[in-house]
Amino acid sequence: MNNLVTSAEGNGALIRVTNLCKTYDNGSGLVHVLRNINLKVYPGEIVAVMGPSGSGKSTLLFILGIFLHPTRGSYFLGGENVLTLDRTGQAEFRRRRVGFVFQTCDLLENSTVYENLEFPLIYAGMDRKERPARIAAALEKVDLGHRMHYSSNRLSGGERQRVAVARALVNQPQVILADEPTGQLDRSHGHLILTHFGEIVRDGKTSVVVVTHDPEMAARCTRVCSLQDGILSEQ
Amino acid sequence: MRLNDLLCVSVRQVVRHRRRYLGVVLAIALGVAGFITVVTMSREVKKNFNEDLDLIGGVTVIRVYFDNTRSYRPQWFRDQTLEALTDLEGVKELSLAAVKGGQTNYHGERHIFMAMAVDEAFWQVRSFWAQRGRLFGPGEVFERQRVCVLGAELARKVFGTQDVVGRSLEINQEQYRVSGILGGVTDSGMANSVFLPLTTAQDRLPGQVLTDRLYLRCLTWDDVAQVAAAIPKVIGSHQSPEELHVEVSWEGLKRVKQLAWWIESLIYLAISATFILGGVGIWNVMMAAVTSRTREIGLKKAMGAEDKDILAQFLSEALCLSGAATLLGAGLGRIMMEIMGIMIGSRPPENLFFLGLVLAFVFAVVLGVGAGLYPSLRASRMEVVSAIRYE
Repeated sequence: MNNLVTSAEGNGALIRVTNLCKTYDNGSGLVHVLRNINLKVYPGEIVAVMGPSGSGKSTLLFILGIFLHPTRGSYFLGGENVLTLDRTGQAEFRRRRVGFVFQTCDLLENSTVYENLEFPLIYAGMDRKERPARIAAALEKVDLGHRMHYSSNRLSGGERQRVAVARALVNQPQVILADEPTGQLDRSHGHLILTHFGEIVRDGKTSVVVVTHDPEMAARCTRVCSLQDGILSEQ
Repeated sequence: MRLNDLLCVSVRQVVRHRRRYLGVVLAIALGVAGFITVVTMSREVKKNFNEDLDLIGGVTVIRVYFDNTRSYRPQWFRDQTLEALTDLEGVKELSLAAVKGGQTNYHGERHIFMAMAVDEAFWQVRSFWAQRGRLFGPGEVFERQRVCVLGAELARKVFGTQDVVGRSLEINQEQYRVSGILGGVTDSGMANSVFLPLTTAQDRLPGQVLTDRLYLRCLTWDDVAQVAAAIPKVIGSHQSPEELHVEVSWEGLKRVKQLAWWIESLIYLAISATFILGGVGIWNVMMAAVTSRTREIGLKKAMGAEDKDILAQFLSEALCLSGAATLLGAGLGRIMMEIMGIMIGSRPPENLFFLGLVLAFVFAVVLGVGAGLYPSLRASRMEVVSAIRYE
């Protein structure tokens, strides 16, 4: 089956995924997690991917972040075939072009909020003096400016999630990949995050792909795609 | 990743996980302290050890003498020869002596003995001390006093007791005051001898008192062979070496060296064991850290860290650990060095301490890199997803 999800025709897509498949061998046979996924995401879009648990949403997001390699298919970001990148190129890609928010809102333990946001900037080679302003700005956007020097171990679940979002934003990436970014947030903070995603994509250069179970959040996205049994379709 | 960021992050990690690392740091610090102490104090201790062992065997004392009984032209040590021997490298001190036959009549009983005419340095060179009373010193030698020191056995034979300090003894029909009884490890020859100030003997004993024997004490037993080999040449360049004999206690020297080698080896073995344990400790701790920080590694890779960044971070943490341990060890080593210096009453040159410090830092780097390399490589090669999903 070949399913194509695009919002418009044309070649200006920031993300272009074609015939993407992911298959695992679980010992007793092959498991087809993703089947012939075709997806185009254009600059300025927020695309929601919805679907039941185990439908392959996180796997798709991991492939878009090139944390995983597909079994088959192609993936272009900004016209570049990112699946051909070597390990150094992949790291460079994650550093400069992608910001990732994990479902488990992983933060570095025994580190402060500031240090959590500083690492992407360190890896990007940003000067030490420029970092505080950038970190403060990212934290302000998720309403956590006052928690900058808190230990991440002392944050509530919601605060941790917002810090994880701020960390994904701090390097000002081209694409933000967020796995359930509002899963642990109350309504107002979930709203805040989405508003901020909206502000980010407004410049017309950035895209956001969000995996969510929250219909309200999906409703506020530019497009909503559904992933079921490894097949992606637009709602 | 920039170097200053790397160092900052690594130091922060080590400080934050200090409880986990404390045991390893202490183990390495003790090894380093021991190493620095051995490097800085070994020569001083050896010198001291030499002196202590000399009490048993006198292995660093070289006996040099002219056998005038076999020579038509009697020889004795000239002043310029003595000066040259004193300046010889490896010689700590020397003492000049002469031997004459002596006799005494005490309560009608005649005793024959060896009268040794010695200078004030003799006691120190031969490691003798006074068992009773005192041994005559520079004053008595300079003033040519009629005093004597008796071997313990001779005192018992002549007086029937060793409690003879202050009593008079007739030697070759001259009266001498007994100033002390010879103590220390002495052979039967020394225990049955009378010791007179060299100047007094030259004035009062009949016939010529030729200073034909010499005792040289070397700085350490390592100097003995070299000094013994040089003596004939030095003497030959100032006077005739005819019938010159150089005696060294080679067998004793060999045994003492063996003993010292064993002691030194055991010390180095203990230090090596400490270093190895420290290395294994670092390895273990880093492996445990890699396992417990698997998710952190995955997260950092997701943030854009390259394999080399992760490798550098874990290696640098291992280096920080060994570096911190070395600093602590250097401090401990300095304290141990000061304490030992006070105990043995000598102070090593300061540059030896710095040499020890530099060597210890080299060891620390080798240890840190060696023990931290495999865990760091393992961490750097982790795949992002499996690391993030690690439970």
